[in-house]
Amino acid sequence: MQITKYLRRIALFFLSMVLSLGVLSAQEKTITGKVSATGEGPLPGVNVTVQGTVIGAITDLDGAYKITVPGPGAVLEFSFIGYTNKQVPVGTQSVIDVVLESDVTALQEVVVTGYSSQRRRDLTGSVGVVETAKLTAVPTGNVSNSLQGRTSGVTVVGDGRPGETSKVRIRGLSSFENNDPLYVVDGVPTQDISSINPNDIQSLSVLKDAGAASIYGSRASNGVIIVTTKKGSSGTKVTYGMYVGTQSPGNGPTNLLNTQEEADLQWLVYKNDGTVDNNPLYGPSTNASPTLPYWAGNTNWYKELTRNAMVQNHDLTISGGNDNAKFFAALGALSQDGIVIYTDAKKYTARFNSEFTFLNDRVKFGENLTMAYRTKHGVSNQDESSPIVRVYSLPSIIPVHMTVAVPDGLSGPFEVGDWGGTGIASRLGAVKNVIADQWRSKDNDNWEMRIVGSAFIDVKIMQGLNFRSTLGGTFNNGYYNYYGFVTHEAAENTATNNFTEGAWYGNDWVSTNTFTLDKTFGQHKILAVAGYEAVKYGVGRDSEGRRADYFSDDVTYRTLNNGASTIYANSSLNTPTTLVSQFLRADYALMDKYLLSATVRRDGSSRFGPDTRYGVFPSFSAGWRLSDESFLQGVSFINDLKLRGSWGTMGNQLAVSPQNQFYAYGGSPGDSFYDINGTGNSSVQGFSATRIGNPNAKWETNVTSNIGFEATILNNKVGIKFDWYQKKTKDLLYNPELPGTAGDATPSYLNIAAMSNTGLDMEFTLKDKFGDLGFDASVVLTTYKNNIDKIAEGVTFFDPGNQTNTANRINGVPSRNMVGHPMSAFFGYKVDRLFQEADFHTEVIDGISTLVQNSDVPTQDGAAPGFFKFQDSDNDGVIYPEDRVFIGNPNPKFTYGFNLAFTYKNFDLSAFLYGSQGNDIFNWNKWQISFAQGFGQKGKDLLYNSWTLTNTGATVPKASSIASFSTLTEISDFLLEDGSFLRMKNLQLGYTIPENLLSKVSIQSLRVYVQAVNLFTITKYSGLDPEIGGWDTSFGIDAGNYPLVKQFLFGLNVSF
Amino acid sequence: MKKKYIIILLILAVIGTWNSCKSDFLDIKPAGVLDQSVLANAKGIDAVLIGCYSLLDGWSISDVTWGPQTSNWVYGSIRGLEANKGTTAADQPEINPIQTYSETASNGYLNQKWRLCYEGVSRCNSLIVIANSALADGKIDQAEADMYIMQARALRGWYHFEAWRMWEKIPYLDETTDAATVDNEIDARPMIIADLEEGVKLLTNMGAVGRFNKTVSQVFLGKAMMQMYHDYAGALPILQAASTGTKPDGSPIGLAPTYGEIFDIENRNKIEAILTVQYSVNDGSGGANGGYGEVLNFPYKGGGSPGGCCGFFSPSQEFVNSFRTSGGLPLLDNSYNDDPVKNDLGVVKAPLDEPDPFVRDQGPLDPRLDWSVGRRGIPYWDWGPHTGADWVRDQTIDGPYSPKKQVYKKSQEGVYTEVGNWTSGYTANGYRMIRYADLLLLIAECQIETNDLVNAQININKIRARAANSAGWVKMPDGTNAANYQIAQYTTPFADKAFAEKALYMERKLELGQEGHRWFDLNRWGITVTELNRALNYERTMQWGDVLYGQSTVGTEDVTYPIPQRQIDLSNGKLTQNR
Repeated sequence: MQITKYLRRIALFFLSMVLSLGVLSAQEKTITGKVSATGEGPLPGVNVTVQGTVIGAITDLDGAYKITVPGPGAVLEFSFIGYTNKQVPVGTQSVIDVVLESDVTALQEVVVTGYSSQRRRDLTGSVGVVETAKLTAVPTGNVSNSLQGRTSGVTVVGDGRPGETSKVRIRGLSSFENNDPLYVVDGVPTQDISSINPNDIQSLSVLKDAGAASIYGSRASNGVIIVTTKKGSSGTKVTYGMYVGTQSPGNGPTNLLNTQEEADLQWLVYKNDGTVDNNPLYGPSTNASPTLPYWAGNTNWYKELTRNAMVQNHDLTISGGNDNAKFFAALGALSQDGIVIYTDAKKYTARFNSEFTFLNDRVKFGENLTMAYRTKHGVSNQDESSPIVRVYSLPSIIPVHMTVAVPDGLSGPFEVGDWGGTGIASRLGAVKNVIADQWRSKDNDNWEMRIVGSAFIDVKIMQGLNFRSTLGGTFNNGYYNYYGFVTHEAAENTATNNFTEGAWYGNDWVSTNTFTLDKTFGQHKILAVAGYEAVKYGVGRDSEGRRADYFSDDVTYRTLNNGASTIYANSSLNTPTTLVSQFLRADYALMDKYLLSATVRRDGSSRFGPDTRYGVFPSFSAGWRLSDESFLQGVSFINDLKLRGSWGTMGNQLAVSPQNQFYAYGGSPGDSFYDINGTGNSSVQGFSATRIGNPNAKWETNVTSNIGFEATILNNKVGIKFDWYQKKTKDLLYNPELPGTAGDATPSYLNIAAMSNTGLDMEFTLKDKFGDLGFDASVVLTTYKNNIDKIAEGVTFFDPGNQTNTANRINGVPSRNMVGHPMSAFFGYKVDRLFQEADFHTEVIDGISTLVQNSDVPTQDGAAPGFFKFQDSDNDGVIYPEDRVFIGNPNPKFTYGFNLAFTYKNFDLSAFLYGSQGNDIFNWNKWQISFAQGFGQKGKDLLYNSWTLTNTGATVPKASSIASFSTLTEISDFLLEDGSFLRMKNLQLGYTIPENLLSKVSIQSLRVYVQAVNLFTITKYSGLDPEIGGWDTSFGIDAGNYPLVKQFLFGLNVSF
Repeated sequence: MKKKYIIILLILAVIGTWNSCKSDFLDIKPAGVLDQSVLANAKGIDAVLIGCYSLLDGWSISDVTWGPQTSNWVYGSIRGLEANKGTTAADQPEINPIQTYSETASNGYLNQKWRLCYEGVSRCNSLIVIANSALADGKIDQAEADMYIMQARALRGWYHFEAWRMWEKIPYLDETTDAATVDNEIDARPMIIADLEEGVKLLTNMGAVGRFNKTVSQVFLGKAMMQMYHDYAGALPILQAASTGTKPDGSPIGLAPTYGEIFDIENRNKIEAILTVQYSVNDGSGGANGGYGEVLNFPYKGGGSPGGCCGFFSPSQEFVNSFRTSGGLPLLDNSYNDDPVKNDLGVVKAPLDEPDPFVRDQGPLDPRLDWSVGRRGIPYWDWGPHTGADWVRDQTIDGPYSPKKQVYKKSQEGVYTEVGNWTSGYTANGYRMIRYADLLLLIAECQIETNDLVNAQININKIRARAANSAGWVKMPDGTNAANYQIAQYTTPFADKAFAEKALYMERKLELGQEGHRWFDLNRWGITVTELNRALNYERTMQWGDVLYGQSTVGTEDVTYPIPQRQIDLSNGKLTQNR
């Protein structure tokens, strides 16, 4: 391969340079000293280097260092993140003590970017940095959850369920298929960072624009999040942190009817519909009022389902080392019970990072290794059978446990103490007793083990030129089982018990080799990285079996072979993906004022056919430090001002299946087997085409332009960061649904669609100190505007699949992805008003007196007084599907984070608020409770505020049992609500015990705190929680979303 | 020394880089799937052919619910007003407009049915392509190729015919058609006939009961000629030839001795069934091969009645009333509605150990009623007497009746039903797509239309004679008849063609009711609008009828379903709407 030939030549060239290096001259001298910081005492971990050489040392725990310098002309340079660098000429001194000044500006901060680190002041791309303290401020146990509101350009939708991760989107949505950012943990690219303990993280950077991210080429288009874990430093240091607390489920829905009210509602329906019935629950409809059955309960399902749940977390770290060897070891344990009974998640992590330098600091070897073991009793979400949906759909009349016997129950006799359920009597619907089901799931098992690691070797070939080779990978493995019980209490029971058991494993690896050149020639500064990378990921397989007919339900009896009949035994083998890439980046700075950067990366992916598998992704960026120009020198309030601009391309290959290029045949028992011999209990294997191949698919490419500025003003107290961007995705991969005549094989992905995003990212920081009172505030603002520019020739829209099961109850899905609109926009009928009696007149048809719509009212199927009158969007006098319009948008206009921190003497107080503005929610729960025709539980509005002959001004339609186009079967804006919210995510008060009290017990520092998480939420949304995720092509649908809950915690951090 | 280390390290790094850059590193074979070339031999082609047959059961294509059902309980029976949707108002709402004759082109059920039919066509076409390539490569001989291709063409004819019955103006695709450019302007009927004629060349004994054979193909051909061309004279000899044929496994065909036994799962492949769609359970498909399309259609009483779910497919009162007899003969003037069969609406169940307060209908009834419909007090297979309201999900919406023909026996649970699933409604009770009585009545219809009233009457009487075999009537535990069954044959010769037609139309309703034929039959007879409006006007006067049917009427456009809008959109303007 051509490129490798060059690489070899370069390597040989560098080798010869190494060989020609001269021998160091004598006159050596040893210097010792101590480094401290103003008001903070000794500083461990400070870099001490001899300027212009590779000689260096690091201060130990007491701030002490020892270094050998070549001679009296040497200059020692002291540097430490967060402090101003200091240079001291050695001269005749042999002891040099130094005091470093804290650097209030963040500009000196070193930011980890693609394959290298840069000073923040040198950045030309758009990079967001999340401070480590903020990552762990909200106790989520998960990095993705912690990102919310912390840096601009990142939209995070939380998931309140224990052990689940949040949805992270950087600068909007640019693909129909996959918008997950790429995570790079210690050089190992991954799509999943859930196994990383947030406490282990040293730094986290978000590469947002092409200038910063396109060095990751084909994997960069959704943004890149670079995580570096902690390293050891000289001297031994032990820290321990813990928190323990409780999570409160709150009151749950308050708008549901109780048992008596449900019965009253039935009478209202009879009255409205004029129905005569002998109701099996409440007696003849001719009675003046309903009679409750003797077994009736009055269950508050939310109260029964939820509990105050415990959460606790412990982190222990040990770090240490000397000049040549350093290590960092950490153990973490998080245990979180869910607010839903019988749910919990546990996560245990262990980390060992180490680094060794040898051969006169010329060679550095290091490794990072983490292991995570997680167990979970999870809970389904956004699904008709999920517990939270059932809170909205289980009638309150059903008791959790029977308090009286019902010998002639619908599904059989009920004894006192039996589970209650819809099988007690008819007309109770079909929703299963959620408490019973949760209890039955308590012995299910689910665990996962994940090992992530990397090792590197870094060779200093000559001053300013390094070669680094990294080999990293992950291995993961998981197991689960679940048991299905025979049920008796429900209207729809399971007749046989069954047991499902499965396991899976997977692994991936990456090999990265880079040369880095970091040189300064007078006023010219060059940082260049050239590299080669090979990746293989998605290796693995899984298997699952299910058997039924278990003689005993005992937990210890649950093995597959104990089931009398086999339901299925399946396994699948993943098709892995390989990638090879070459990349080059060069940053050039002239006089520290004019910054230029260029990147190019070439990627090849096995997901594409031989002719199209390579893509080239260039980018260019530039910066201009205006504040260093003479015309701004006199402007005293500006400390630093930099303009930035970038243009470049980034790719995405995640959208396509690894099998996309192949035309494939296959078949499963359900899809293509047939009992051709008429046995009744076996089927003969058959095949059909399962995938239509497209060897010509290629990368999705997005072209991003970014313009921004960064400024620190007013004595370095105020920081401003502002970016405007435009991101246009072309060759967007989409697998257009084929006409039915083409068959049902999976259509291949074609590069046919296009999408664009524009937005603003803004960050403001304010830091100040008034005597003992320290003050730190920041505001982060994220906006994006997403627009679908093209889907396919002749295709202007597509509707996502039935992901929340709504389509089983209502016609179609609420989301539509259409050209000219953002992804996932809500589409349906606009409710004009409710029909009134005046819209109708009576005619006698076939001898039957019939209510007929007046001719001046658009004809609508099922029209009747009190039902929805939809908007006649095309004004043709008939209401039909063409009258549907876009009725809402789940994309927020902007999201924002507001961070406040005060310190006063030993106290600290921090608060973090997060908000989302201008997003709509399709409230599926409202459908559940707003129509008497549906299953189960109903809402108060339906009984008290619905349309009746005497309440014609109502907006809630008439309570009726008629299911028609005009009642509940269509998607309309009746179910849409404003989902804007502002939430107090975190409020924390801490106290640091004064040092003089601790020194006697060998404790270096001790801080205790109390904390409230999700203390309050300001919103108009009527559901449990306005923070709702979902698939990118159909999000913002609240189909029983699990709420984020309040937590109250106590914690402490101690270091020895 | 130190330099040596560095050199070694660098060399190792470069070698590592070199190794991972081998040119085949990016060539990854797809895992777990087959390439077409692996299938181009006798064994592979037969497996692909099984894939063609496997869609006969209506399952599966991606993202489907119950729309592609093979028994046409929605499109034939509910649309033909033999039954209503049942269950609750908000369950499977796409059926609501189909039963009120107000469905739009965007109805999801219709799109599912369309996609299933054409996935069937597509599978048959790929079989033909693979078989031809195997023949060209010498992997199979001409006779083998013919056997495969004739089956595939017969199946392709059937899938197209099913689509034609729904939409009429349909695209036709053979193995050379480009799906991206096909339109529906060309009359598909001649090609459908040609494909079915290919099937007639098959052997009568195909060695497996689930395959198409000569007899099966003859029935489909005759039926297609009647339905598409009203070519009764042409269809008659073909159907008559079929009546002396065999089942696909070579076993004999004929009328089962009694009516009720036909619907017992045990008998699904016995003498009456010319072609049964083969359902299988506990075969590792997780229920998907167990009649997925019909899984909802069981009475609704968890644990106490069959299936456990979901209370769909409730027979209509108008249908039940049709079984009223007078002198053992049906009331061909539809006056049966003047003496409706008594139902238990609003009569609550008796407390335990007390007699049922509901007094059953005492009038004369055709005995086939109680095999077609579950009604209160009548033994329901071996599940004990149907208990009325508490077996029905919600009588105010469903009416008082339950479906019965596809319901399994209590003694068959776990044997002919899927175990370990959410419902036991996955059964091996394969849909009797062609049964002998259907064939006899098709022959009688051709005879009437070609003015052979005498033989038509003989054939109709054969059906009635079998129904009159009292050994097959529903009996109470004490052995007495469950109702006042009275049935006789037509003894007076049919007066004229009009009368004969009426007798035949009624006989199909009584004999083949709830089996998915009604609306298609009405279309063939050209009486859809008048007959359904008549029935609708009656059904609407029922307690549940007003809630269900509201102001709906049947119009002239309701003799087809609209072509799915989604398909018109996807065709890029090639397909045009049929109405």
